[in-house]
Amino acid sequence: MKQLYYEVRKCLGCRSCEIACALAHSLSGELYKALGEEKLSMPREKVLACGGKNYPVSCRHCEGALCVDACMAGALVFDKQKGQVMHDAERCVGCWMCVMVCPYGAIRPNILDKMPLRCDKCTDKDEPACVAACPTQAVIEQEKVKAKT
Amino acid sequence: MKQFVIIGNSAAGIAAAEAIRKTDKQSAVTIISDEDYPAYCRCLISYYLAGQVKEDKILYRPESFYKENNITLLLNKRVERVDPKKNRLICADKTQVSFDALLLATGSSPRFPDVKGIKKDNVFGLRTIKDAMLVSERLPMTKAACVLGGGLVGLKAAYALSKRNIDTKVIVKSKQVLSQMLDWTAAGFVQRRLEEHGVELVLGQDAAEIIGEGDIKAVKLDSGKAIGCELVVVGKGVKPNIELASETEIKTREGIIANNLLQTSIPNIYTAGDVCESFDITMGGPSINALWPVAVEQGRAAGTNMAGGNIIYDGSLGMNALEFFGLAVISLGMYKMLEGDSAYEELVLNNAKEETYKKIVLKNNVIIGVILAKNISNSGVFLSLMRNKVDVSVFKNNLLDDCFGYPAIKDLVPSEERIYV
Repeated sequence: MKQLYYEVRKCLGCRSCEIACALAHSLSGELYKALGEEKLSMPREKVLACGGKNYPVSCRHCEGALCVDACMAGALVFDKQKGQVMHDAERCVGCWMCVMVCPYGAIRPNILDKMPLRCDKCTDKDEPACVAACPTQAVIEQEKVKAKT
Repeated sequence: MKQFVIIGNSAAGIAAAEAIRKTDKQSAVTIISDEDYPAYCRCLISYYLAGQVKEDKILYRPESFYKENNITLLLNKRVERVDPKKNRLICADKTQVSFDALLLATGSSPRFPDVKGIKKDNVFGLRTIKDAMLVSERLPMTKAACVLGGGLVGLKAAYALSKRNIDTKVIVKSKQVLSQMLDWTAAGFVQRRLEEHGVELVLGQDAAEIIGEGDIKAVKLDSGKAIGCELVVVGKGVKPNIELASETEIKTREGIIANNLLQTSIPNIYTAGDVCESFDITMGGPSINALWPVAVEQGRAAGTNMAGGNIIYDGSLGMNALEFFGLAVISLGMYKMLEGDSAYEELVLNNAKEETYKKIVLKNNVIIGVILAKNISNSGVFLSLMRNKVDVSVFKNNLLDDCFGYPAIKDLVPSEERIYV
């Protein structure tokens, strides 16, 4: 099971990952066309600065995720095989319960679309767009390691 | 091989059954429901009424769920009595069901006010899919409707009715909507949004009588004024279905009293969901938080413990997310500080023009309540600070900033994994 990790000391806060993410989830996948799309594609992750460092925040696909429990529409399921929280847009009603409970603030509401936005690990690509875009290799995709904090 | 019996087939009941099956594939698991429908998303019935969610999308679990998990589902079956001494249930159809461990997840029922005419036909609660279907069937014959109550159920009903082009008025006893979860300012945002979209609010007045012989003609208010309508939906809160317990030695107050293992006063009988009176983290006392996520959490803990596990449930807190006509609002815990008590403090950011509102209520530098309107992204971070009772003094001045987020609290709350290396 692969997971995204962030080497904080390498992160410049340049937000290339945010742009790459929005682009990867746009209809055209090309920057100039994407900017003209009717519904502007939004990034699934956000870089937040804190204490002089930058932290990309995005969905961790927790096992036993609070968002899955909170989903009153049955639209969120943790897929054990994929190690990923799957979102069924057909069932989602945009009630924002998942946004309300995510302890990482990693799910963002797209109010216009009434759809929550979260990292989908770019499973349709060879590697996540944020990993490919990071100029300092601060975003790392690797097998999950369990660590207690 | 044990007999696990669960009364209630919604959030708590299903979560409990799944938790039992996680560790015990052998024992018998039976779910009993007095409804005639496999588990469905109860909170979506207003969306169903609005015509936004079709019946095929309302099931909470696939139809194969019960078979795949070897769960016996008894629908349309009303349990009449629990006999804790003989560990058995007596049902209305005179059948008996024995159990080794029992979960009372009996939920709650709409509270109907004591108003003349409230028992008339075409006065509905909105609690079950059947309620939604009955209301829906009446709509072709309905031009105008009154909703009694400005709580979440009442407003969701009003939203649904107006989406179905019914002329809808909401009668609210309080001077604002959602008085249980929002302050005056945030409620004002919601009110404006509803009224802009054709939902009329009658604030500060209560229904005195429902008028009409046979068919409903109008709702008479305590002011004497009458509002013409053919249909009434009641959203005046819910009462926990405690009858099965209160007729036995199982201890009840407002709900069925649970300890931190979700056991009732009888150790092999558990309780979870809307009927369960457990502990409120922000209030610091016993309370019922009748909410879907809480029911799932409690159901899972109860089920795990029934099957021999040991989950300590440290309580819940009030939380609600709502969305009306593009305005998102979230309310967590206590939305107002106690006036005149210096332990309390409120941090407020109010931008009426942009309809953004953030309010954080602190007690001794611990967050006990939050209201967010429009910009709701950080809600879960606040919830985490509340759950973990984190002293926020060091970053108190940053809490309302748009760039405040998880990185600021990452070393103060437990996390499953370390992703920042």
